[in-house]
Amino acid sequence: MESAVSLHSLVKTFGQHRAVDGISLEIPRGIIFGLIGPNGAGKTTTIRMILDIFRPDSGEVKVFGMPAGDQVKDRVGYLPEERGLYRKTKVLEMLAYQGSLRGASPSAARQEASDWLDRLELAEWKGRKVEDLSKGMQQKVQFIGAILGKPELLILDEPFSGLDPVNQDVFKDLMLDLNRKGASIIFSTHQMDTAEKLCREIALLNKGQIVLGGTLSQIKSRFGKNSVMVEFDGDGSFLQGLPGVARVDDYGQYREVRLLNGADPQALLRAAVERVTVRRFEIMEPTLHNIFIEQVGGHVAHA
Amino acid sequence: MHKLLMVIRREYLERVRKRSFWFGTLLLPLLMVGLVVVQLFLVDLETGKQGKVALVDATGKLSSIFESKLAEEKTKDGKPTFLVEVAPVAGSLEETRRRLEPRVLSGEFLGIVTVGENLDSDSNFRFYARNVGNITAQKAIQGALKAAVVGLRLEKSHLNVGPEELKKLLAPVEMESFEVKARGEAKKRGFDEAYFGTFAFVMVLYMSLLLYGVAVMRGILEEKSNRIMEVLLGSLTPDQLMSGKILGIGLVGLTQVAIYAASAGLLRLYVGLASLQAGWTGALDAISFTTMGYFFTFFLLGYFLYTSLFAAVGAVCNSEQEAQNLQTPLVMCLVIPMVMTFFFVAHPDSPYAVVASLIPLFAPMLMFMRIMVLTPPFWQIALSILLLFLTIYLFFRGVARIFRIGVLMYGKRPTVPEILKWARG
Repeated sequence: MESAVSLHSLVKTFGQHRAVDGISLEIPRGIIFGLIGPNGAGKTTTIRMILDIFRPDSGEVKVFGMPAGDQVKDRVGYLPEERGLYRKTKVLEMLAYQGSLRGASPSAARQEASDWLDRLELAEWKGRKVEDLSKGMQQKVQFIGAILGKPELLILDEPFSGLDPVNQDVFKDLMLDLNRKGASIIFSTHQMDTAEKLCREIALLNKGQIVLGGTLSQIKSRFGKNSVMVEFDGDGSFLQGLPGVARVDDYGQYREVRLLNGADPQALLRAAVERVTVRRFEIMEPTLHNIFIEQVGGHVAHA
Repeated sequence: MHKLLMVIRREYLERVRKRSFWFGTLLLPLLMVGLVVVQLFLVDLETGKQGKVALVDATGKLSSIFESKLAEEKTKDGKPTFLVEVAPVAGSLEETRRRLEPRVLSGEFLGIVTVGENLDSDSNFRFYARNVGNITAQKAIQGALKAAVVGLRLEKSHLNVGPEELKKLLAPVEMESFEVKARGEAKKRGFDEAYFGTFAFVMVLYMSLLLYGVAVMRGILEEKSNRIMEVLLGSLTPDQLMSGKILGIGLVGLTQVAIYAASAGLLRLYVGLASLQAGWTGALDAISFTTMGYFFTFFLLGYFLYTSLFAAVGAVCNSEQEAQNLQTPLVMCLVIPMVMTFFFVAHPDSPYAVVASLIPLFAPMLMFMRIMVLTPPFWQIALSILLLFLTIYLFFRGVARIFRIGVLMYGKRPTVPEILKWARG
């Protein structure tokens, strides 16, 4: 089957800055794919090239096997990171307009928008102006705008940023539901834990390049089960000096310790018990966050 | 195509549904119609009614010519406007007048004309009326009196002149102005009327171009500052968005101008039937099918020319304050022809006028202005339209490029050289 999106040696520069520097990527259909990386890694630029908002300097973009362009846009729903609404327009009209831009007739778009507003408990707001809505409601309306017209591919740029926990759940459930009904989803985020929960496959971007890609399980197994999570009372500064320890990440409540290949976790446990009161000790796969930090070096700010 | 139509639809409906649009659109024609209707109404009152004039004539010899002369004035339904009642002088002129005054106040008489015995003395001829502001009536009465008095004077100087000959001798010399048109039709028109009519049209042109240019710019700025631009670009190409916006708002402008034109046309029809005073018809004479055709042509060309530039300003700025500086040169280009209207109406064929009216940025207003006052050679009109088309084509290409880059740029506004670099692609 054709990939949902395939990118080949994509390059985009702005002045002196290479925002995207030779990205090649196959995103299969039907999965939730995470485009992950710190701010400025080139995620948004890549997405904009997939949508033909930017033209690449070189390289090739194909969506469902077709070159990016006008016909493709009708099959893709897009929620940009910078998203807004016409403030003075009525909610239903705003959405009907967005739906009609994806190829529907005005009346059909209106009907679909109306159904979604009912479903997301915004029915009574249909006739109100956008500016009367709370921020959380506006976010829902924006999300509906992206999924009108049953897009085969949904591209969400930082969909969870700025959302309250309730809406985060609403969005997450919607995403999973749409995915189950067959939509391919690409979403970008700099929150590694969200990506870890939702994505089957990911690509890690840094400085315009893919530093790591594949299914989450592949990636994790490649790094081995050599992480340890320790929760304890007392001074934990000794951990860094122990033999076999590669690095220690302090999360406040607990620490994640990466071991060198071949190091014995049991030795670590013994050393810890001698010095502090251990409340929890767990051998686990490294978190995406740690993998990423390891890959790009510690000079990337914690996201 | 569907998407383009959807953008046009939204831009059009969004604006036409606003109350302020209808307020602005209907107010101007209503004001004009109102003014004219009030005028007509007043004139109707005057011309529809017969009025009686009392003549108190100490010479006793004026009444026959006075009456026959006044009888030439007819109301709309063909009856004489003035009836004359000759009041015999009893006692002094003053006393006679005083006796008649109550009948003026009661409305029976429009006024009293008194004539003393000595035709050559000052203040010998007087008109007493309740309303001395009725210029039309006074003019007619004065004319009749003049004819009668001159006749009497001639008679006294023993030149034997019959009433018919007298009429010929007294025939007024009135100069009428005619405008020479290339196609041979000559139209009666004075400078004031030409200037008034032309200025009104150019004013409407200026206001519409500015208004709708700024509307396009504001629309784009709004989409940028509300962060809705990228949402739209997820479904639209920048070209679709830009042309949809320009066409949609253009249709709004066209709707408005069409409403103006229709009301002007109706007004003219009505005025034509009612045969109003020369000043008004003269100004409205400007509204012929040819001028309307040219008006729409130059409105549309000017609209596309200026909105494309305003769109570029909107695309590269982040706020209206920022846009203020960049739009100033555009507004200047619109103001210059406005300011020069007076000069160009007076000298529509001077080399300056010819050259200026061919420059595309000025052409929509200046060429139209020249067409209004003198009908320039056809090649000049054709050339200005051709140049406008070419410029619009080039502007659109450049502006589309600026738009594509500019709309997603936030932060520092690019410099003018940078913008020009984008435009060249």
